[in-house]
Amino acid sequence: MSPTKSGGALAELSSQLASAVETAGNSVVAIHARRRIPSSGIVWRDGVIVSASHTVRKDEEIEITLPSGESATATVAGRDAATDLVALRVKGAKSHVASRGGADALRVGSLVLAVGRPGRNVSASFGIVSAVGEGWRTWQGARVDRVLRLDVAIYDGFSGGPLVDASGAVLGVNNSALARGTPMALPASAVDRVLDELLERGHVRRAFIGVAVHPVALSAAVVKQHQLPHEAALVVMSVAENAPAEKAGVSVGDVLVEANGQPLRRPTDLLDALSSVREGDSLALKLLRGGSLKSVSVAPADRGGHE
Amino acid sequence: MNAATFGLARQFASNASDLSDLLRHTVVEVRSGESGSGTGIVWGGSGLVVTNAHCAPRDVPLEVSEPTGRWRGARVIAYHPRHDLALLAAPSARGPLLELRDANSLRAGELVFAHGHPLGVRDALAMGVVHAVTRDTRTNQPRWIVADVRLAPGNSGGPLVDVDGRLVGINSMVVNGLGVAVPSDLVRHFVERALAQRAA
Repeated sequence: MSPTKSGGALAELSSQLASAVETAGNSVVAIHARRRIPSSGIVWRDGVIVSASHTVRKDEEIEITLPSGESATATVAGRDAATDLVALRVKGAKSHVASRGGADALRVGSLVLAVGRPGRNVSASFGIVSAVGEGWRTWQGARVDRVLRLDVAIYDGFSGGPLVDASGAVLGVNNSALARGTPMALPASAVDRVLDELLERGHVRRAFIGVAVHPVALSAAVVKQHQLPHEAALVVMSVAENAPAEKAGVSVGDVLVEANGQPLRRPTDLLDALSSVREGDSLALKLLRGGSLKSVSVAPADRGGHE
Repeated sequence: MNAATFGLARQFASNASDLSDLLRHTVVEVRSGESGSGTGIVWGGSGLVVTNAHCAPRDVPLEVSEPTGRWRGARVIAYHPRHDLALLAAPSARGPLLELRDANSLRAGELVFAHGHPLGVRDALAMGVVHAVTRDTRTNQPRWIVADVRLAPGNSGGPLVDVDGRLVGINSMVVNGLGVAVPSDLVRHFVERALAQRAA
């Protein structure tokens, strides 16, 4: 007996969810690059697979199980420790490139599925987006404009797999290691930005100038004298040897007030200013030294390759 | 936001509670000795109940609940230790037998519901999706149904059903947070064989 068999909302949703998993599963591969169970990866572009860096423990001769069941070999094209993303290149394997969902689906409460292939077959879990974090900074200092916290179980082998909407379109990359086991997903737009850099130079450029800073309060007299718009700044505690800041003449005790016209109140303000500097451009610093305001131009270096 | 925005969600909730009403008439609570309790599925109108073998240990007096709330004695007719199944004779337990759903037709991502008495809470319903169907390496037939559904002790022996209320499997254990169920086809085979052996 089945009194609910009437094509109700439940049956319709269920069948749509299963179809979504099937659709998404056509672009989800298994990556055999660690002991115990394989992890999941997404065919993001033609011949390019994205996954979670911590699950891929080697760089060459990585065995991949494609959605068709066939095997292929991949090599690491680049990694970014800060967002825990890895890009792999596969040769000669034809697979569906994942279709991408609109970012407007990323609202708290949206129904989402996590899809993985921790082996031969595709598997899934289901839940909602529980929070959308704006301007999130990973514990290694990378700035992500948006991150999704999920009320979806990310099981063993699911990291690196896609978070999909009810139509099977990919919204992001799931990762349980980004924030101490909390199920999270990196939105597709952020993945794209990281991927562009990984494919171009093998790592993500992280501009640095080589100073350690601490926030300080400025006296009212100083603020008034130099007509500063705020009362907090950053005092330089140390300058790394041969670093861009040293070359530009920044020294211990300088008080950094502004970077590229933006006020420096907290250390993260300096990181933000650095991440918006494009390659080859320099950072215009305003600093207080011996009671007078100076302008210094620093050309940041790239630390991304050796973190 | 208007009322229509929530129309689907409301319909969904109403469908799910219909399902709960259906299932409540097809299960019993199974009590063994002083400690354990689990869920049992009423297997048609002839006083049979299927549950997990681990919910019906040997040489321990068994009781099943009646809809009135009274407890009646039951005894084990057959065991299948490998599939963790037990068939009970419980004359007081009568009800409709759920339609069975072949695990071969299950798709990952499909909605499933688990009904049972977790931690002694009567008639609790949990929703999730099919995570995967694992197969017997020898016969390639479905061996376990793995579901992303929250189960607790007391759910053991209870039904896992699809959106149409068809029996997908019997919830048996929790592995790494995932619910694991015995496919309903294996359950049917077990019951048919047990009854044939008794008749012979």
